[in-house]
Amino acid sequence: MLLNRESSGKRWHLRPDGVGKVTGKLQYLTDMTLPDMVHGRVLRSSYPYARILSIDITGAEAMEGVLAVLTSKDVPGLNLFGIATPDQPVFCEHVVRYVGDAIAAVAADSPERAAIALDAIRVEYEEWTPLDSPEAALAPGAPELHEHGPGNVLHRTEIKRGNVDEGFATCQHIVSETYYTPRQMHAYMETEGGLFVPDENGRLHVYAATQHGYKDRMQLARIIGCSEEDIRVVSSPIGGSFGGKDELNVQPYGALLALRSGRPVKMHNSRKESVRAGLKRHPMKIEMQTGISREGMIQAHRVRITADTGAYATLGAPVLNFCTEHCLGPYSIPHVDVEGVSVYTNNGVSGEFRGFGGNQAIFAMEGQMDRLAEIMDMDPWEFRRRNMRGKTDPGPLNQRILVTDGLSQVWEAMDRSELWQKHQHPPANPASPPWIKRGVGAAIAMHGAGLGYGIPDPAGGRLSLNAEGKIEVAFSYEEFGQGLIATLEMMLCDLFYCSTSDLSIVIGDTDRVPHSGSSTASRSTTMAWMALQRLQTPFRSKMLSVASALSGIPSDELVTGPGGIWLRGKSTESKAEKIAMSPVITEVVGERTSGSSESFNDTSDTVDNAALISGLVVSYVDLAKQGKSEEWIFDTQFEYPTTPDNVVGGHYLYTYAAVAAEVEVNTLTGEAKLLDTRHVVAAGPVINPMGFIGQIEGGSVMALGFTLTEDALMQDSRYMTTNLDTYLIPTIRDIHTNLEVEAIENLPEGDPFGPRGIGEIGSVALAPAITAAIHQATGVWVNRLPVPRDQLIKPLDVSLQKGVSST
Amino acid sequence: MTEPLGNFWTAVVNGEKKQLRIAQTTRLVDVLRTQLSLTGTKVSCEVGRCGACMVLMDGEPVNSCLVMAYQCVGSEITTIEGLHGEKEGELHPIQQAFVEEGGFQCGYCTPGMVISTKALLDRYPQPSQEQIETGLCGNLCRCTGYGGILRAVKKVIDEQDRMGST
Ligand code: FES
Ligand code: FES
Repeated sequence: MLLNRESSGKRWHLRPDGVGKVTGKLQYLTDMTLPDMVHGRVLRSSYPYARILSIDITGAEAMEGVLAVLTSKDVPGLNLFGIATPDQPVFCEHVVRYVGDAIAAVAADSPERAAIALDAIRVEYEEWTPLDSPEAALAPGAPELHEHGPGNVLHRTEIKRGNVDEGFATCQHIVSETYYTPRQMHAYMETEGGLFVPDENGRLHVYAATQHGYKDRMQLARIIGCSEEDIRVVSSPIGGSFGGKDELNVQPYGALLALRSGRPVKMHNSRKESVRAGLKRHPMKIEMQTGISREGMIQAHRVRITADTGAYATLGAPVLNFCTEHCLGPYSIPHVDVEGVSVYTNNGVSGEFRGFGGNQAIFAMEGQMDRLAEIMDMDPWEFRRRNMRGKTDPGPLNQRILVTDGLSQVWEAMDRSELWQKHQHPPANPASPPWIKRGVGAAIAMHGAGLGYGIPDPAGGRLSLNAEGKIEVAFSYEEFGQGLIATLEMMLCDLFYCSTSDLSIVIGDTDRVPHSGSSTASRSTTMAWMALQRLQTPFRSKMLSVASALSGIPSDELVTGPGGIWLRGKSTESKAEKIAMSPVITEVVGERTSGSSESFNDTSDTVDNAALISGLVVSYVDLAKQGKSEEWIFDTQFEYPTTPDNVVGGHYLYTYAAVAAEVEVNTLTGEAKLLDTRHVVAAGPVINPMGFIGQIEGGSVMALGFTLTEDALMQDSRYMTTNLDTYLIPTIRDIHTNLEVEAIENLPEGDPFGPRGIGEIGSVALAPAITAAIHQATGVWVNRLPVPRDQLIKPLDVSLQKGVSST
Repeated sequence: MTEPLGNFWTAVVNGEKKQLRIAQTTRLVDVLRTQLSLTGTKVSCEVGRCGACMVLMDGEPVNSCLVMAYQCVGSEITTIEGLHGEKEGELHPIQQAFVEEGGFQCGYCTPGMVISTKALLDRYPQPSQEQIETGLCGNLCRCTGYGGILRAVKKVIDEQDRMGST
C-alpha cells in the first residue's frame, strides 16, 4: 500500500504530544529549571593526545559563586563509563585521548561564572602526536591508547565460508573497489543536557536524555558508588537522539556536581561542545572484491572493513559486528572471506548511529552489485534477483532466520514501480541545458532488528488498571520523537477497543516503569507489541470477570470498550470474537490480500457499533475500585527473539527495503540533486502510519545528508566542522519533495512477533541508490561519501584546455 | 555576566510590556528562556543557522540567538507562546496543521518552524514553492525530513484559499 494520509484513513492518529510541541509548552529536560539551581560546565582537553602533567584547581575553587570543582580525585566509584566496554574516563587523570576528554567540572551560580571558573583551571600537558587515522594507529610502533590491547585494535570480526581463492579462480569477472564513508554527526536539534537534583532523602533525580534510563542509572550508580535505587532517571521527552544519546554524556558531571554542591545542577551543552564531545557515525574504509560466474552468479566475496572507533570503545564492537553481517547483503554467496577491524585513534568517539554500521556496509555491497551488473551488461535489478538469497536460506552468518517473503516482495514492488521503470529509458529533461544530467538508481537491503544473538536483550512491560480507572501501560522505552507514545496509544485502542482518554502511558522514568530494555535497534515497537500480546489476555479476563461478578452478566457476554466494559452487541459478535487475537495482525494476515486500505483496522467502527447496540455495564473507574490495586497489575518479562544458532550478533528478525532514486547532476558545479525517491518497506503491519511515514522520510533525508553533504571533518584529530554552519545537514531546499513510501504489511501466518520497527530501515539503502543514479547520469562510479563534487564535474573539453577552439 | 548595568530593558513580549534589569549585551534568546521562562523558544546552534530560536521582532522573523537585548529595546517580540487561534488557548491554524499533518517528531525545531511559517504566510499568504523553501530554509529539522512540515504548510495555504474563495 502506498502510505499516505488518504490511504491511512482512520489510522491517521494525531499524536498526543503534538499540542505541547507546537505550542512550545512541552518542557524538555534541558528546559527545566529550579529556583536554587546552579550551572555546571566541563573542562575538556586542549589536545587530542597528551599526558597530563598537573591540574591546578585552586584558582577556580577560590572564585566567588563557585560551588564545586571536581577532578578525577572526586569520583567516589568507578571513574569510567561506556554501555558495553566501560573505558571512557569520567575525568582523565594521566592521559587525554581526544579533544572531548573531560578533565574537570565546575558548578557556579551563573553560566558566566562557571565559564570563568573553567578558564581559571590550570592544566599542564605534554603534547603527543595524535594517531589521526586507523592506519596510523595500526602502524608498527604506534603507541597504545589503551592497556587492554593488543595494539590499538578494539575488535576484530570475520566470516569465512568455502574457499574464496578457489571461488575467485572460477570467476569470469571480478570487481574490486574501496569504499569510504564519512564521520556523520547525529545533529539532533536538542543538544545534551538536563537537570540533576539531590533531594532531602539523599536520592538523586536525574532529568537527562538517554535511550535507556536503566542503563544510565546502573552506570551512574557505579560512578557515584551508590545503590541504583538511590538514583531516579527521568529521560523523556527528548529532542532527538538517533543513537547519539545512548551513552552517558553530561550525566556523570551533572550528577557528581549536584551531590557535591547539594544544589540542583543544570547542564546544557553548546553545539560546539556537543560536536567536540559527542558520538559520531564510524567512518569506514571497506575494500571489496566480488567475483561472478559467466552466468552472473556471485561466486566469491572478499571484504576488509576498517572502522575508526575513535578514542573510546562505546558500541564500536557491536557496530562492527553489524557491519560485517550486512556487508554480504541479502545475497547467496558460496565463498566468503570477510574481516573487520575496529581501531582506536585519537579522533572523535564513534558510536551508535541509526543504521548501526548497516549504512556503510550496504553502500559498499550495493555498489558492487551495480558495477557487476554493468560488466555483465545486465539490468542491475535483474542481476540482484538472480543472486538474492532464497526464502528459506540461512541468514548472512549462516544462521537460521525467520522465514518471510519480505525480500522478494520489496524486489517485486520496486520492479513494478514507475520510478524504477524510468531506469530503462534514462530520463532526459529536454528543457535542461546539456550539462544537467539525470539518472535513476536503486538498492535493496535486509536489515537486522534487535541486538542479535549472544547480547542480553531483555524486554518486558506492565499493564494495569490504575487507581484513576485508566488502562495504564508502562515501559522503559523513551520518546525521542519517533512517536512511541502515539504508537502505544494505537496498540492499546486496537486491543481493548477503548478510547484514548481511557489510557495512561508511562515511559521514561525509572521510578515508574519496569525494566523493558533499551529504545534502540528498531526494537521498541516489536517489544511493546509482544508484551501487550502476553499481557492482554490475563488483563482482559480479570476485567471481564470482575465486571461479570458485579453485574451478574456472564463474562463471555462482555467486551472491553470505550469508558469501560460493555455488553457484547450481536452484530459485532464475529469481530468481538477476534479481540483475543490482535486485530491488526488478524486482519492483515487473514483478510487483507488485495492491498485495499479500507478493511484494515477500522476499529472505531466496531466500537461505535458495540456502543449503539449494547450498553455500558461497568466503567473502568468503578472496576478499579474493586479489590486491591496490586491485583490490577500485570507484568511480563521476555527476551528479544534471536536465532537459535550460536553466532554472536546474528539476527533473527529482519526488515527489508528497496529504494529507488532519481538524481540530477550539474556537471559544471558537481552538484547532485535528489529529485524523486520511492521506499518500499516490508516490516509487517503498519500500526501508526503517520509515524511510519515520518520515520522513513526522516531516515531518508538523514541518508541524503550522509550521501551528499555531511562529514565532521577532522585534521590532526581536531574537528574542522564545529557547528551547523559548516557541517551541512539537508534543509528544506535540499530535499526530494517527491518521496513515496510503500509499506508491505504481510507477515507469515501466525507470526508471533508482530510489527517490526522501522526506525533505521529508511536510512540504510538510499546512498547506493543515489550513487547508482549518479553513475547513470554521468558515468562516474562514486566510491566515497559524501559524494565529492569535483568527481562529478565534467573536465573541460580537452581541446579547449589546450587553448584551441573546437570549431 | 548578568550584573545589571543600571538601566532597564523594556519590550512588549507576546503583548505584555516587560521591564527587566539586565545587561544590554544579553542575547534575546537568554532573555526569553532564562529571564522570562519562555522556554518554547529553543536553542541549538547559537550561530544563526538552525532557526530553533526563531521569534518575531516587530513582525519580522529573527534568530533570537543573534539579537542582543539592546537591539530590541522597545520592540514587539512574539514567541511561540504568543501564538494562538482566534481565542487564547486555541491552536493557531498553523499549529493545528502541524499537529494534523505530523509536521514534527521530537518537536525541538517545531516552535521555530511554526514561527517562520507564520512570518512566511504573513508576507505571502499564497507563497510559491520557491517562497516556501526560501522562507523555511533557515530552519533545520533533523527528524521529519521536512515532509510533514511541507504538508502542514500546504494545508494552511489550502485552507486560507478555501476561506478566501467562499
Ligand atoms: S540557536 Fe539560534 S539559529 Fe540556531
Ligand atoms: S522534529 Fe526533531 S528536529 Fe524537527
